Amino acid sequence: MVRRLSRSEHAVGWAFVSPAVLIIGIFGLLPILWSLLLSFQKSDLLTPQTPWVGLQNYKQIPGDGTFRLAIEHTIIYTALFVPCTMLVGLVIAAALNRKVRGISIYRTAAYVTMAVSTINEALVFMWLFEPSFGVVNAGLQAVGLPQQQWLSDPNEALYVIVAMTVWGWTGFAVVIYLAALQGVPQDLQDAASIDGAKRFTIFRTITFPLLSPATLFLAVWLSINALQLFDEVYLTTRGGPLYSTTVIVYYLYDQAFQQFNAGYAAALAYVLFMVIIVITFIQFRVGNRFVHYNR
Amino acid sequence: MTTSASPTLAGRTEQPVPAEQDHDRRRFRLRRPSAWHLVLIPISFILLFPFYLMVVTSLQTEAQTRRFPPLLTPPTPQWSNYAEALNAAPFVRFMVNSAVVALIIVAGNLVLCSIAGYAFARLRFAGRGLVFGLIMATLMVPFQVTMIPEFLIVKWLGTNVWDQLGIDHLGALVLPTLATAFGIFFLRQFFLTVPIELEEAARMDGTSRLGVLFKIVLPLSLPALSTVAAITFLDAWNSFLWPLIVINTESHMTLPLGLTTFQGSHDTHWELLMAGNVFSLVPMLLVFFVAQRYFVRSVAATGLKG
Amino acid sequence: MKRSGLVAMATSAVVAVLVLAGCGAGGSSSGKTTITVWEGYTDVEGNAFHQLVNDFNSSQKNTHVNVLETNNDYALQKVLTAVRGGTPPDIAYLYGSWAPNVAKIPSVVDLSSVVKKPSVNWQDFYPGERAVTTVNGKVIGMPALVDNLAIVYNKSLFNKAGIAPPSPTWTWDDFRAAAKKLTDPATKQYGWSYAADASEDTVWRWEAMLWEAGGEILNANNTKAAFNSPQGLQAMTMLKDMAVDDKSVYVDTTNSKYMDLFNSNKIGMLVTGPWDLSSIHVPYGVQIMPTFAGSPAGHQSISGPDNWVVFNNGDAQTKAAETFLTWLTAPAQIKTFSLATGDLPTRASVGNDQAVVEQMNKKLPGLKTFIENLKNVKQARPQVTSYPQISQSLGNSIVGVLLGKMTPQQALSQSAAATNQALATQ
Repeated sequence: MVRRLSRSEHAVGWAFVSPAVLIIGIFGLLPILWSLLLSFQKSDLLTPQTPWVGLQNYKQIPGDGTFRLAIEHTIIYTALFVPCTMLVGLVIAAALNRKVRGISIYRTAAYVTMAVSTINEALVFMWLFEPSFGVVNAGLQAVGLPQQQWLSDPNEALYVIVAMTVWGWTGFAVVIYLAALQGVPQDLQDAASIDGAKRFTIFRTITFPLLSPATLFLAVWLSINALQLFDEVYLTTRGGPLYSTTVIVYYLYDQAFQQFNAGYAAALAYVLFMVIIVITFIQFRVGNRFVHYNR
Repeated sequence: MTTSASPTLAGRTEQPVPAEQDHDRRRFRLRRPSAWHLVLIPISFILLFPFYLMVVTSLQTEAQTRRFPPLLTPPTPQWSNYAEALNAAPFVRFMVNSAVVALIIVAGNLVLCSIAGYAFARLRFAGRGLVFGLIMATLMVPFQVTMIPEFLIVKWLGTNVWDQLGIDHLGALVLPTLATAFGIFFLRQFFLTVPIELEEAARMDGTSRLGVLFKIVLPLSLPALSTVAAITFLDAWNSFLWPLIVINTESHMTLPLGLTTFQGSHDTHWELLMAGNVFSLVPMLLVFFVAQRYFVRSVAATGLKG
Repeated sequence: MKRSGLVAMATSAVVAVLVLAGCGAGGSSSGKTTITVWEGYTDVEGNAFHQLVNDFNSSQKNTHVNVLETNNDYALQKVLTAVRGGTPPDIAYLYGSWAPNVAKIPSVVDLSSVVKKPSVNWQDFYPGERAVTTVNGKVIGMPALVDNLAIVYNKSLFNKAGIAPPSPTWTWDDFRAAAKKLTDPATKQYGWSYAADASEDTVWRWEAMLWEAGGEILNANNTKAAFNSPQGLQAMTMLKDMAVDDKSVYVDTTNSKYMDLFNSNKIGMLVTGPWDLSSIHVPYGVQIMPTFAGSPAGHQSISGPDNWVVFNNGDAQTKAAETFLTWLTAPAQIKTFSLATGDLPTRASVGNDQAVVEQMNKKLPGLKTFIENLKNVKQARPQVTSYPQISQSLGNSIVGVLLGKMTPQQALSQSAAATNQALATQ
């Protein structure tokens, strides 16, 4: 039954959201708009003169080979990072979803990864993957595989960063999935197993679909973060070796604060913004087809 | 759609583990230690490893930290590093500052995002979809880009509205993230799964919208609220770049800023830095520990379980 | 938690903090001018600097100096934001490599009239520093720091290998031969470690080699690259010979491990500056960089001076800042600071004072060589605003050569093209 909303209903709705919207509007949206304006100017953040140059910054983008590399790397990174983190998170959450003694200790271990700062994460991984003295190469040597150069190899560095960030975000994925798993009704699973279905089949046909809302949430959240990867690159490879770990936000930061090209950096940020909107929109569309909500 | 009320809501006060209980309880007592430990222990080791290295480094001497490959155990545990680190700068002050900032941000988010999230979930009003979309959009632009305009805005507020909101004051640290897209999005998802019949019944009884929110919905939402609290606390506690830009007085610094005392451009005192980091982690772990009871049970009904 | 509880908690927290914070940053009180200095000193330097500031404050009736310790690497972001917001500090410690761009900021004070004063004795500062403070005739800062590059070597590794340690007459061929002898794949020991993160750290070491080969970075009026020359090729080829052919170089792409490895006796030689000396825990020696045999340029080194920059916050503030800086960079204070911290003296009069040199060398062996090496800093990097782009291109080219992904000629040609383009569009 459709009825028109009365004015007071609109008013109540707006009254409820106003405080939060005011804050997010002032500190979140206004800066974004300001940056949009900046992207139409030539600015180095130093001189107050920022002449209007229209679309010139945007026109430079297609010819920018390094930006193209950055896009490539960001997409490869995201395509690997998001599914890996979700898979690892799901597996660990399934393992943690047990009535085993001391389970809260194991759960705390998962949370700790969220709390440890990025710089420690970076230090540990730089050590683990160090070509001459690191544990990973020592392990490879022990099983007779050839040593790799890892972060010193332009072909491998990005994948080390994938590994590092998957580790860093696992805790978050575990928390989400763990809670979601606990909401899966046990009676459905029991009924299926009485009917003779195998554990994995139960998981595949019953449990996993019921986890789909969590999967969508994680896919969206992790993608938004992956497309804006910065800290781990800044703390380890600084976009190298030979630009192989240059991702969009790192390139943008370099343009703004090291090359003093703030207007151009803002234009790059807008391109990224459009990309993220499109990808998120697609995810929600696809999600609406496959996700089972409670109501 | 389940026929009964969501199993994770009303009435659920015991352990947040699904009902394998009856079936397993007998087996559990007779079982040897679960084989799952064989899986969980290595996984936990991998997950905890960087934290372990942090603690080990914090107990070494400076000479011991300058080794490669690093030592895996502290040969002569230097507990004095903690005292030395705490004395190097007014860390207690920094911790108090961080705590105040984080608590205010958490409180603000809990209140503002609950109200807004409820509106997005249950109330209909013109422009709802658009406004929600705009809020989500704020997640999609990196901070490096918005940093300077945010600074200008805060400065303007300080000069033209109230000086406590301006640069180098508490308002500047607290206001920009007093409500976040994360809080709103997350709580909206959760509120969507609260049985609407309960709310409709209360409305019929004449309860106001606000009353429904506070008397019916929020009490059922403790898990989601504690999740938002824990994650928001974590973000606020670890925030570095924004405080770096807006704080100009040492006594106003927060903990992450204070820790850079140990990081010179060329020489970093790893043992002191790690001691400081461990010191910084402890409150967060405490918060997690407390929130954990609700935490795990929480997201269950955020519409994330189906 | 009930809503009223939350609100009460939030309110009391806010009130508590307002009371505690004693809100409100300084500001001048009754006649006294207060200036703020932003610096990134840590530890020993930080203490020494604070001590100097205290001395200054107690000697002054009309001026007071406040210090904010920030982090040098992030200093530029903080300063730029503050400048953009119209609230810069009075004095900031900024890396010399940012100088050409910092000079574009309108509120930066031109100190030309200050440094011309006879009491300041501008010529007493080493030429490398003065070159970095001056951009297009404008003096944008006072020298805050000076350093240079020299060889730091591990004595025990040299003894073990039975090689004579580096001498002042070494050529790069001698260096190469020693590095080769010190390299042992079995024990994962390397002769030399090179900072290879493609940042300016990578570039300036090579630039010193370029100068020693007799080459130049840019042409006379800074309009074109000049490093794509036979001398540039010689310097670049030496890197390739060592890293790719001899495999005697540890290519440190994250630029973070060389000191730990050096201390673990895995690296024979470093080319680095005095700042690393205090982190060394193995027997070491210091020697000036080798020359290229037959090159007319002889010994050259490179310096990376930093600046104290003054921002215009009004006449009273500027005057006070100038007074403080003039005092801070006077010979007496430089002597105190250098003796306390081991930082090289920024004035030649102090650097030539043998008593000071001996005292510093006793405290931290090797400093004498570094101080004397200041005489070998005969050139400075070009003060052009597009230097960051040039640096980035050269950095990546050098790393490409070290990793064996590019030939020296390719590297030079590629960077020369990028440099010329950057210079043309600046």
